[in-house]
Formats: sequence, structure tokens, C-alpha cells
Amino acid sequence: MPRAKIWGFLAVSAALSLFVFFLYSVFYINLNDFSLFVNSDLNELSSLTYYSAAAPILFAAYSVIGTGLWIGWTILTIKVVPPMPEIVEKKDNSKIKAFFLCIAMLLLAGMLGYGVYIRSFWALAIPALVISAVVLGAVFWVGLAIITTRATLPVNDK
Amino acid sequence: MKVLILGYRGNPYCGGQGIYIYNLSRELARLGVEVDVMVGPPYPDPLEEWATVHKIENLNIWSIKTKDIPLEKLKRVLSPWNFIDFVMTRLHFFPEMETFSFRSFFALKKLLKTKSYDIIHDIQSLGWGTIPMKGYGIPIITTVHHPLTKDRDADLTNNFGLWDKITTILFYPLVMQAVVIRRLDRVITSFKEGVDELHNAFRVKKDKVSVVYNGMDVEVFRNTGEKREENALLFVGNTEDSKKGLTYLLEALKLLPEEVTLTIVDDGPPKKLTAWDMIKKMGLEKRVIFTGKLSYDALVSIYSRKTILVMSSLFEGFGLPAVEAMSCKTPVVSTTSGALKEVVSPECGILVPPKDPAALKNGIEKLLADKKLRDSMGEKGRKWAVDNFSWPVAAANTLEVYKQVVDEYRRGS
Repeated sequence: MPRAKIWGFLAVSAALSLFVFFLYSVFYINLNDFSLFVNSDLNELSSLTYYSAAAPILFAAYSVIGTGLWIGWTILTIKVVPPMPEIVEKKDNSKIKAFFLCIAMLLLAGMLGYGVYIRSFWALAIPALVISAVVLGAVFWVGLAIITTRATLPVNDK
Repeated sequence: MKVLILGYRGNPYCGGQGIYIYNLSRELARLGVEVDVMVGPPYPDPLEEWATVHKIENLNIWSIKTKDIPLEKLKRVLSPWNFIDFVMTRLHFFPEMETFSFRSFFALKKLLKTKSYDIIHDIQSLGWGTIPMKGYGIPIITTVHHPLTKDRDADLTNNFGLWDKITTILFYPLVMQAVVIRRLDRVITSFKEGVDELHNAFRVKKDKVSVVYNGMDVEVFRNTGEKREENALLFVGNTEDSKKGLTYLLEALKLLPEEVTLTIVDDGPPKKLTAWDMIKKMGLEKRVIFTGKLSYDALVSIYSRKTILVMSSLFEGFGLPAVEAMSCKTPVVSTTSGALKEVVSPECGILVPPKDPAALKNGIEKLLADKKLRDSMGEKGRKWAVDNFSWPVAAANTLEVYKQVVDEYRRGS
């Protein structure tokens, strides 16, 4: 079998197994306690259930934090000189800001990791809120633009 | 030989990618290759004469504010790939290559039910979707004229402030390109130094890179026979692109006698102000003129009339204006940066180190003072361009790479 096909099989098997594992760890083992209208204490959930739900949120949050860190690091380390330094009048202090961006991202990553570890509700809720806000904000923005865009020419009174 | 060419933008009248697809597909077809082109908008209208075109959707909404997106496009934003495009462009990413690769991955799945290809030739999109495309069992190669790291670094030199730099870094999908390019069967680049450039930027193995010089239309770019002007320098290129090194040319112009003038083929004020600000600062307002964008006919005419073309670039992945000028028998003064030292033969122009206004000035002065040398370089330049940079030559060399890759692939599997 060609190597590429093997990768295809691996991708299909990994996606299916992870999804089945997710269903198992989140729903199946808690089937007896399942109710949409009863409070669940995060600390009472089994580790498997808790981390199965937290992992996707953590992954998305760390992707954003990682991007921020990568941007800060790139600005900090890249060596670029303006083509004609003598005619550049403005002073650029973006390296200092990039340094603080890196620090902020590292702090955020640490806080998030620790929050998830101690099972703080907010450690999951805040990233989920941000992700939802981006997606819903995009839908809202498109909708608003469609509503406020003129579809037909105005009536010519003359 | 059946080839599928992938390009995320196909308009043959703007952008190097569209011109490349247009000419390469035509010449490959003339060589007997069966060519299909899977392409994003702006679409290449006249390609159908020699190739089958499969159009891939894209809204091209990068740099358009949401409130300015036409209603027809807005209505289509909520489909999955368009929505991803929309969200990512609002976050300052440039996802066109990425979504094009996934869209073409799925489009190709349908297409392969009725068609087969010996090779897939991606033109510098290098999106994530190209990796699973390998699962179709067809070798995939790509053309990368120069790594985007060069563009990003050049942009960063012009950025002031953290926000400008952040948006520049987000714009270039370098991580994606670095991962994808290493997984393809071959990379074509347009100059020998490009092999090292790609290795340094993306850690591409050098033996996976083939050099095929770009082509240009030597039939269109012919000397018109119009009378040459004296002391008239010409610069062709995007003045906002700091890689073009226009500042060094202006510095050189300042060192040259008053009668020497410069014509810039690009938009000037009020559309583009970067170059004009520099010109004003250096007091060169009376010696520089902008022509704006020109038609092919007007461009050929201006190449044929001006005394010298000057390429002051800090980096070039090919240096098309130099080849066009040589094809019109116009001598060139050029820096040795990037591909230029290969593209401009010492018999057809004077080569000087980049970032050196004094050397540029000396090269220009030498040519301006010697008409015989200019004429001789012009004649040799035409022959050099026809022999090395015509589209039939580029297509034949590309076909050779196709054959090698297909052969290796079949032996490997």
C-alpha cells in the first residue's frame, strides 16, 4: 500500500477513535448522572471526563497564545534594518513591546494551565467565551453588513 | 503527459502567478502536454483554447472592510470555507492559499473520478490541503520563485510600531509553507541561489530543488525602433516594495549630473506616496517622473526609448524587468542581488553590489558615456533573452523536470 494511503488510514482511524473516546469519556461513563438541568461540580467529575472536555478548549486557547508568543519572539529576534536608516525619522520601540507581549503570553499560558489543573471553571469559561465571541462576532458582523448594505438602487425621483 | 496546474490566483494581467500559469500552460500544450488548470479568482479567461480550466471559488476579501464587501459576496460568506476565509482575514491572516488548497483537494477528488494526471504542479500556494492531496497517489511539485521570508523581512523593515509588525507576521503563512514544501516531490525555483534561499528559509533539501529560469514573451518584448533618448534612466517596479531598493537609485541619481532623468513605471502621487516622499526629501522632483501602470505596448515602447534600465533591487526572485529590457535591446545596470547576477549577463549590462549608491552611479555613468558599449550590450541582451528566457525554453525545461519526477515516483512506488 502506498505510504500516502497509510497516512489516510491513520487519519481516519485517529479521528474516529478520538471521537469515540470523547463520547465514551464525556457521556458514556457518566450516563447515569446525565441531566441538563442538574448542577455538576467540576471536582466531582472523573479526571478522564474532565480532561476530555477541557482538552479541546485548552488546545484552542494554547493555539492563540502560541501565535502571540511566536509573533513576539519573531519581532524580538528578527534582524531587519531600514534600507536608509538616515532618512528614517521615527523611533521604533516595538522590540520592547514585543518583549512584554512574550512575557504576557507566557504568564497567560501558565495561568491557564494552572487554572485547568486545579479545575477552575473560569479557566475553561474565559477561553470558551473568547472563541465563541470571535465566531458569533463574525456571524453578527456579516449579518449586520448584509442588513445595512443597499441591495437596489435608490428610487430616482426625477 | 497529463498535468494539473494549481494556482490560487489566475488573472494573466496582474501578478506574476497569473502570467506564469497563462504562458506555461500554453507552451506546455504546444509541447503536446495535456494541461488542466485548477485556479482561483481572478480567473484566466482565455486559457480554454489550450487547457481545461476548473474554477475554484474564493471571495478575495482580504483587505476589504466588511462594510465594503459587495452584497453578492456577503451572501456567500456563510458557507464553510468562505466563513473560514472571512474570519481569518478579519484577524489579519492571509488564508487564500490555505483555503484554496483544501477546496482544490476536495474538487480534485471529484475530478479524479473521470480524469487522471501524471503530475500536479502547484504554483506557490503550498497550503495545508496539499499534504493530504499526496494521498491521491500523484506526484506533486511546486514552483517557488523566492521564499516569502524575503517579502516578510522587507515588509518588516518598513513597519513602525508593534501593530504594523504583528499584522505583517500574521499575513505571511510561513509556518504552513515550511511544513508543506518539505513534503512535496520537487521544488522548482527560478535561479541557482534560490536553492540556498529555500534551504535556509524552509530547510528544503537541496537535491529536491530544480532550477528552471522563468520565461517572458520575447515576441511581444521587441525593440520598436523608436529613437533612443539620451541620459534617460528607467525603473520598472513597485515603488512601495522596499526590496526594489529605489532609495539607493535615488541616491545615485542625486550624485549624477542634472541632465540625467529617471522615469518610474509605477503609480506616483496621490496613489503611492512612499517614493514621492523620498524624491522630495532628496530634492529630485524635477528629475523624476511617474508613468503610472502601462499597457504592454506602452511598456515595450518605453523600454525601446529609454537609455538604460536600472535595477537597484536588494533581492529579486527573477528580475523580469531586466529580461524585458534586454529583450528590447536596452542595456541594464543592475545589482548582483538574488537572481539578477544570473539573469543579467555581464555582456548585456553592468553589475554592481546592492545597497551601494556610488557603485550604481559609476555603472550608470560608464554606460551613459559610451554609446557603442550600450549598442553592443543591447544586441547581446536580445540574444541572451531569446536563448534563455523565452517561454518555449522555460516550458521545455519544466517538462524535463516533470519527466524526472514522474520517473522517480514510479520507480519509488
